[in-house]
Amino acid sequence: MSERRPYRRPMPSNWWWAPGPYRAYTIRELTGVAIVIYGAVLLAGLISLASGPSSYAGFLAFLKSPFSLLLHLVLLAAVVYHVKTWFETLPKTQPKIIVDGKPVPAEQITKYATMVAAGCSLALILLVMGVAR
Amino acid sequence: MDYYDADVLIVGAGGAGLRAAIAVAEADPSAKIALVSKVYPMRSHTVAAEGGSAGVIQTTDSLDAHFNDTVHGGDWLCEQDVVEFFVSRSTAEMIQLEHWGCPWSRKPDGNINVRAFGGMKIERTWFAADRSGFHTLHTLFQTSIKYPSIKRFDEYFCVDLYVDDGRAQGATVLSPSTGEFTAIGARAVILATGGAGRVFRQNTNGGIVTGDGMALAYRHGVPLRDMEFMQYHPTCMPGSGILFTEACRGEGGHLLNKDGYRYLQDYGLGPVTPEPRNKTMELGPRDRLSQAFWQESKKGRTVETPQGDVVYLDMRHLGRAKLKERLPLICDLAEEFMDLDPADSPIPVRPAVHYTMGGIVADIRTATPLAGLYAAGECSSVGIHGANRLGSNSLAELFVFGHVAGDEALKFSKGAPAVKTDRLLDQAKASAAKVVALRDQKGGGIRHADLRKEMAMTMEEGCGIYRTAADMQATCDKLAELKRQFRDVTIEDRSAVWNTDWISAVELGYQLDVAEAVAHSALLRKESRGAHQRIDGYEARDDVNFLAHSLANYREGAAPEITYGPVKITRSKPGERAYGALGEALEVKEEKKDAAHA
Amino acid sequence: MPDAALAAKTVELRILRYRPASDERPSYESFHVPYSQEMSVLEALQSIKDTLDGSLSFRWSCRMAVCGSCGMMINGKPQLACSTFLRNLPPGPVTLEPLNNFPIERDLVVTVGDFVKKIESIYPYIIPKVPRTIEEGAYLQTPAQMAAYESFSDCINCMLCYAACPQFGENPDFIGPGAMALLQRYNGDSRDGGQRLRLDQIHGENGVWSCTAVGYCSEVCPKQVDPANAVNQNKTNSAFDFFLSFVRKA
Repeated sequence: MSERRPYRRPMPSNWWWAPGPYRAYTIRELTGVAIVIYGAVLLAGLISLASGPSSYAGFLAFLKSPFSLLLHLVLLAAVVYHVKTWFETLPKTQPKIIVDGKPVPAEQITKYATMVAAGCSLALILLVMGVAR
Repeated sequence: MDYYDADVLIVGAGGAGLRAAIAVAEADPSAKIALVSKVYPMRSHTVAAEGGSAGVIQTTDSLDAHFNDTVHGGDWLCEQDVVEFFVSRSTAEMIQLEHWGCPWSRKPDGNINVRAFGGMKIERTWFAADRSGFHTLHTLFQTSIKYPSIKRFDEYFCVDLYVDDGRAQGATVLSPSTGEFTAIGARAVILATGGAGRVFRQNTNGGIVTGDGMALAYRHGVPLRDMEFMQYHPTCMPGSGILFTEACRGEGGHLLNKDGYRYLQDYGLGPVTPEPRNKTMELGPRDRLSQAFWQESKKGRTVETPQGDVVYLDMRHLGRAKLKERLPLICDLAEEFMDLDPADSPIPVRPAVHYTMGGIVADIRTATPLAGLYAAGECSSVGIHGANRLGSNSLAELFVFGHVAGDEALKFSKGAPAVKTDRLLDQAKASAAKVVALRDQKGGGIRHADLRKEMAMTMEEGCGIYRTAADMQATCDKLAELKRQFRDVTIEDRSAVWNTDWISAVELGYQLDVAEAVAHSALLRKESRGAHQRIDGYEARDDVNFLAHSLANYREGAAPEITYGPVKITRSKPGERAYGALGEALEVKEEKKDAAHA
Repeated sequence: MPDAALAAKTVELRILRYRPASDERPSYESFHVPYSQEMSVLEALQSIKDTLDGSLSFRWSCRMAVCGSCGMMINGKPQLACSTFLRNLPPGPVTLEPLNNFPIERDLVVTVGDFVKKIESIYPYIIPKVPRTIEEGAYLQTPAQMAAYESFSDCINCMLCYAACPQFGENPDFIGPGAMALLQRYNGDSRDGGQRLRLDQIHGENGVWSCTAVGYCSEVCPKQVDPANAVNQNKTNSAFDFFLSFVRKA
């Protein structure tokens, strides 16, 4: 009869908020929600636009309220953070890129992808501004 | 007691054991293989080999050249027919490993690359960066998973062989995780348990390298051959003894004394050249380089540190890019363990015990004198290393002779009668009872850890790079005393599950037997050859009296009896062993002589 | 005076101990050992075992961060004891625990067998695309072809990545980062043609889809294997195969 008796330590139910890498991960995931919220704000704008001028004026008034400004600031910060972590995670999600027989380091993939995304965003902003004029 | 019945039992699952297991499985898928290892196979010490594995592949190279380098390097104490066989089989094994997935380093065109190594005339060392042992071991382990006939006993510790009717027929093994024993019966047994470097204080070896298989065979009457030849590797980390591969020098690293001087030129290894030159300076053989360190230290030209005297391994001129590509593990070790970057600063190094040239005596088929018992790898002495092993011959040895051992043991098992289970179980119970008695004995309060330290210390004092009769005798006496004290060991831990206190005490028993074989073989060899160098009136090689293999024979409760056996010379008559300019001149002379004869 | 002070310097190790024969559950025990600049956590443990308490159990062998035996939680982080040096840890007691997420066999020794079974399950060997005899020599493999899998072949099976993975903690059947790295090591090898065979291990709840890209596994890897990359690029493979299966049916 073996005396072997392996002991399995229980996984703490709040592991996701443990200081360090797990909390950073949880914050990263939660900031993804900011994008959903901002999408909802835009959707609300569209719906009010479709509902007529008075409804849309109300939406614009909401946008100018201090609460809305604060909300947008918080959302912006969260989205920027999420975008940053998204690009940091990017190299882990794709096959290795090999140039001259050597894999391109993750930091470089993040750097170039961020630059491309920034370029696209800038082009989009310029396009929108052009259309608006 | 649990019982398992196998056709072939393999003890040890490092490079040699795994290669043997695969050989058996490929030759006969119906043969039952029991593969016992005291650690998970990928932890075996093959994992720590760094530099590479020798096999002739360049068109400018030849089997003859590999043969000559090996025999000269071994100071003519090699079994020449075995060396001939070894060099002829080595390259095929390397290709086989490549087919199994080993990531050997390549040239830009996709062909295998080879690097220079100490004592080798032409580049023939296959390498996987500086993790050659790691990659070959993992390749073999992972490949072994393909064969359902290999039944692994991972983390099972062998406490005794089962010998009956003059034949090896199995083993008694202990599972640390339960503290329970299993009897394994087999028609043939292969020992592939590795070396015994841990009997010395500063060594490059892992904690598991405790000479288990050597002691097991030895206690059953199989002689240990050429045990006095312990290899000191010249470039190791002061204190821990962790290895900096010879490939550091193969890639062009220099050894500097405290004045920044390449001191090897003072020891017959010159001329100094900026580019690495084979068999010259830093690419001399390990025995000569370690001896040069010792001399340099006596002259006061080394640097004193709390971990002992050091010289410098300088690789700054190689540049960071090359270091990271060819020697990434070395860079990591220097950075993590010593807080220095080899691209910016030289690494302090000193010699440490690295390899057991001797071992369980075995012939070209890896058969030992005990019927049914085979030995391969560092635990064995098939006779290819002689008095000094050349770097990168030992990995190759694992694959060549692991393969042979598998084939031969399988062949033997076909003709061997079945194991008598009741007799095996009786013996296994007796073996187990002895080991349990050691755990449970009251003893005299002696800690085995203390004995282990004293053993390692006295081995270093008496059987180091240079030896004298007085020091070796003192070591022999000390070992006898330690063996007496070992009987009075008290093991603190009496529990069953994962009792590592107990297992390391059993290992110490093995180590003391092997250490005694080393010390007594050394004491009686009254000459200097290869790694056995004396400074008490026997400074020269003595081919008249000592062109012979020492054989340490076990005697219960007494010092081993040392006898001698002949050395097989086929085509290389013992000559002057020289490196550097003199070595090159001698080679030219040899070639002219050969041409004249032809 | 400073010499004497240095000689007297000790370090406290708080070790989570568990002896199945006598302990209901693990508990901490403290030891004090002499401190030195060169001392690794492993050497501190060896010092305890040799001089203070021979019953302390832990695995170790090579001492040079390549055999993968001595992984443990050091101050809460999965690390190799042999390559973690006391000088680099913050002052104060050092807390040592067995690797997270694994059953404890005893003291710092955890169960390894389940991990090895996972390795065995992914067909961890070359299934030749084009078989070759020894006489035909080695396969050609360019540096670019090697680079595609080489880093994944550097895994030393130390299991630190499993101790770092909360999803493995939640679901012990999750194939996990280390085994996935090995799978990708063979899938990415130009000599190998076994990719289809290995799909079963990728798919499903216990395959890659248990991973939520925490990414800590790659951070703690002592050999820069980046197992998170192996897992996540196989999510693409799994999804692609899922869609292909409809095409095949049609």
